[in-house]
Amino acid sequence: MAILEVKDIRKSFDNTEVLKGIDFTLEEGQVLTIIGSSGSGKTTLLRCLNSLEFADKGQIIVDGNVIFDGENTKRLSESELRNNRLHFGLVFQSFNLFPQYSVLENITLAPKLLNKGTKEEIEKEALELLESVGLSEKKDNYPCELSGGQQQRVAIARALAMKPRILCFDEPTSALDPELTGEVLKVIRSLADKRMTMIIVTHEMTFAHDVSDKLIFMDNGVIAEEGGPDILENPSSDRLKAFLTSF
Amino acid sequence: MDTFFEQFPIVFQALNVGFLQTLKLFAVTLLGALPLGLIISFGSMSKFKPLSAVVRVFVWIIRGTPLMLQLLIIYFFPGLVFNNPIWGGGEDGRFIASAVAFILNYACYFSEIYRGGIQGVPIGQQEAGQVLGLSKSQIFFKITLLQMIKRIVPPMSNEIITLVKDTSLARIIALQEVIWAGQAFMKGSQGISGAIWPLFFTGVYYLIFSGILSLLFSYVEKKLSYFKA
Repeated sequence: MAILEVKDIRKSFDNTEVLKGIDFTLEEGQVLTIIGSSGSGKTTLLRCLNSLEFADKGQIIVDGNVIFDGENTKRLSESELRNNRLHFGLVFQSFNLFPQYSVLENITLAPKLLNKGTKEEIEKEALELLESVGLSEKKDNYPCELSGGQQQRVAIARALAMKPRILCFDEPTSALDPELTGEVLKVIRSLADKRMTMIIVTHEMTFAHDVSDKLIFMDNGVIAEEGGPDILENPSSDRLKAFLTSF
Repeated sequence: MDTFFEQFPIVFQALNVGFLQTLKLFAVTLLGALPLGLIISFGSMSKFKPLSAVVRVFVWIIRGTPLMLQLLIIYFFPGLVFNNPIWGGGEDGRFIASAVAFILNYACYFSEIYRGGIQGVPIGQQEAGQVLGLSKSQIFFKITLLQMIKRIVPPMSNEIITLVKDTSLARIIALQEVIWAGQAFMKGSQGISGAIWPLFFTGVYYLIFSGILSLLFSYVEKKLSYFKA
C-alpha cells in the first residue's frame, strides 16, 4: 500500500485555479521531487498536504486513511487538523526558526508541548538529531547567530523531532548562498539514504536527479510529466524540454 | 506661615498624599488596560466582520476624542441623564470613574500597539508552529507572544510614560491627585495661599517617576536583545 495517495487535488485562489487536478502516489521510503517554474503550483500543493491550505476538491490519503476529502464539507476540528498535520513535516524556504529559542529549544519545543516523552528522552533525541545534521556544538546558540545553511539544518532537525511519516521541503536551498546550499543538500541526501519518505520542491536539478526515486514536473497547475530521474535526461514533453534548457 | 522652610513639610506631606492617588490611578489603569487592550486587539483582528467593525468604530471614537471629555462624560452622564449617580460624590467614586475612563482610553491605544506587534510577527512563525502540530494557544503563548513583546516595548514605553502625565487630567473631576494637591496651595490650604512653588514641585514627582520608568524599559529592551525578531 502506498504511504501517500493524492487524488484529483484542485485549488483556486479567488478566480485563479492554481491546482487543476493533481494525482500521484508515493511509496514508503521513496523520495519524490517536484520541479517546475514559479507559479506552477508546487508550493500550494505542499501547503495543501500540510493542511496550511485546504484544497477545494480531491482526496489526500495517508497509510490508507483519508485525511482530507474535498467532498466532506464538515469543518475539521482543531484536534483533527493537528493530527493530520503530524503525518507530515515541512521545511520552509525561509527556515522559520523561532528566534527567541536556542537551537536545542527549537527542536524540543513541540515534542515537549505535545508530551512526546519525558524531558530527558526528548532532549537526548534532539541532541542525536543535531548530531546527525552536524550541529551539536551549536545547541545553545540562537538562530540569529547561525548562517542560513545552519539554520536550515536546524529546521530539518526540528521537523524530524516530531517523527513525521513524510517530510516535505519547500525550496529548502532557495534562500541560501550557493556555498551554503551543499551542506543542506548533504543532510537531505543522508535522510534519503536512511529511507526517509520525502517530497522535495527544488530548483536544484543535479540534486533532484541524484536523490529522487520519482520526479514530477508541474506546469500551470497540472502534472505535465512524471517518471524516474531519467526524465531529466530524456524529457518527452516540450514543456519540460523548454524548462530544462533554462538551467 | 511665610517662609519656604516652614511651608515645605506641609506641602511635601500634601503632595505625597496626592501623588499616591496619581500612582494608584496609574497602576489600576495599567492593570486593567494591558489585558483589555489585548482583548480589543483580538476583536479588531477578528475574521468575524461585524465584530471587527464594531470594535474598530469603538477604538476610533475613544482615540478620536479627548480623554478629558471622556472623563467628564463617564463621571457625570449616569447622574445627569439617568438620575442615577452610580459613582457617588466622594473621592472613591471619583477614583472609580477616573479608572474606568483611563482603562477604556488606554486599552484602545494599547490595542493598536498590540495589533501592530502581532501582525509584525512573520506569518511563517505561526505556520512553523502549525506544521509541528501545536494548538492556536500554544502558538500564541509559546511562539508569537515574546516576539510581539519585543516589538512593542518601544511604543509601549512611550504610551506608558504619557499615562504618568495624563493621570493629571483626572483633576477635571476633582480627583485629588498631585496637581490638585499642589494647586490647593494657591487658593489657600492649611494656611498657605498664593504659593506657586508647590505646583512647580509637582513636576519633580513626575520627572522622578518617568525617569524610573524609562530606566525600567531600557532594561527590558536590553533583556530582550538576545534575539532578533
